[in-house]
Amino acid sequence: MMTRLALISLVCLSFASAHRLDEYLQATTISLQKDRVQAQIRLTPGVAVYSSVMALIDTDRDGAISSEEERGYARRVLDDLSLTVDGDHPKLKLVSTTFPEVGAIKEGLGEIQIDFAADVGGHRFERRLVFENHHQAPIASYLVNCLIPSDPDIRVTRQNRNFGQSVYQLDYLQRGSQSSSTYAAWLAGVGGLMVAWLAIWTTTRACRDRSSLSA
Amino acid sequence: MLAGTAAAQTATARIVAAANTFLSTLDEKQRKSVVFAFDDDKQRVRWSNLPVRMVPRAGLSMGELSGSQRSAALALLSSALSRRGFEKVQQIVDGDEVLKGNEGNNPMFGKDLFYLSILGTPSEKNPWMLQFGGHHLALNITIAGEQGILTPSLTAAQPALYTLNGKTIRPLGQENDKAFALLAALDETQKKQAILNYRVADLVLGPGQDGKTIQPEGLKASAMNDKQRGMLLDVISEWAGIAHDSAAAARMAEIKAGIGETWFAWSGPTTATPGHNGSAYYRIQGPNLVIEYAPQKLGGDPTMHVHTIYRDPTNDYGRKFTAK
Repeated sequence: MMTRLALISLVCLSFASAHRLDEYLQATTISLQKDRVQAQIRLTPGVAVYSSVMALIDTDRDGAISSEEERGYARRVLDDLSLTVDGDHPKLKLVSTTFPEVGAIKEGLGEIQIDFAADVGGHRFERRLVFENHHQAPIASYLVNCLIPSDPDIRVTRQNRNFGQSVYQLDYLQRGSQSSSTYAAWLAGVGGLMVAWLAIWTTTRACRDRSSLSA
Repeated sequence: MLAGTAAAQTATARIVAAANTFLSTLDEKQRKSVVFAFDDDKQRVRWSNLPVRMVPRAGLSMGELSGSQRSAALALLSSALSRRGFEKVQQIVDGDEVLKGNEGNNPMFGKDLFYLSILGTPSEKNPWMLQFGGHHLALNITIAGEQGILTPSLTAAQPALYTLNGKTIRPLGQENDKAFALLAALDETQKKQAILNYRVADLVLGPGQDGKTIQPEGLKASAMNDKQRGMLLDVISEWAGIAHDSAAAARMAEIKAGIGETWFAWSGPTTATPGHNGSAYYRIQGPNLVIEYAPQKLGGDPTMHVHTIYRDPTNDYGRKFTAK
């Protein structure tokens, strides 16, 4: 009995010093592209909140996480997120999920990774993205950041967050949006057709002129 | 980065000699355990802030070495670091031993659980890598001829203040004190820009976040005066200065060249009890630099538990030196 008690207290001491405890860390990184927003959310439940988080994941209560439960939980997380770009609400699409071993989650070490994306239309030069995370708010500790855009046509101008980082507003400038590229391609196409028509017309007319001369 | 100076060449030669001396003390089995291929990317990224029982490391642990082997290992580490850098590393390791004692001799912690590994063959010309780490410590040192880099590296401390042999030790005390001094030196307008209006609960670019660069925030150093910029460089030197002196000097020159484009951001209390670490998070981010200092709620008192990360987004693991 004493050994068991000692073991329990040893485990608690270890948890106290090295593991995440009573919060559910949720770190999101957002990556901007011209017509798409990609994001990754990394979720790490603390030891003390393991049971409540696991109850949401392991819906059949068998102690394991099936791929169906992984997808189900990922969808549940996405349902608690909100993304607006220029006032529109693009649909969040699940890209991939990575789940750690149950044992790692139990120890406060397991990091669940969910990748998602949204197609964003429009052709504004000045854009505003608002991201909100309300997943498990009472126990959550949120982080949200934007990666420096790899596309030189996109430049972040302003970031705003509320104190708890559950609401994030990102203003950015976007040159050469898809709409303007499409327009440019359309113009190029029309121009090409006109040149082709002009070439055919010139050739036909030259042939007609030669025929008239021969006659 | 190491400059192409005679001093730098001497430093690389010294490290290579120390590495070969260490390797010569090992038997065949130990040597196989400690040496990895230079292109072993799995080993390259096998580091963490967590204890080795939770995130296993590879290589040879200090606990597996004999007295003479351990001395040779420490001599190798010392050759790659500055005097203060080596002292800081020893203080982090000693802190873990103190933590072990504070937690009823918990086998999860302690100075025997720090691992050394070598990727590639120690060479004065060809690239190779030296790693040393365990709980709260990860040094990734890439050496390529006369060049070398200490990023990414993680330094952390728990307890952040302890007494050993009658001496009060704060392994990351200067990182804390110099940053608080810089914040205090800012005027109200600058503070308004530097202090973020939100809480940052943890490192953003910690272990596993290689290759990411986030949008910078806070106060740009171009909006600081010369004295404040000097203080910022002094804070940075606490990480850059872990490497041996000539490497640190070259790295600081590189950082200084980009200081105007470097940002300083702060989140949390603006004062701390003298002689103690504070509970505020801060980040320094420049063209070739990311530093984060993040007090941890884990274990109760955030002033007694801090994690930090030091990166060069353009050259982590010496990628700039080894790119073909």
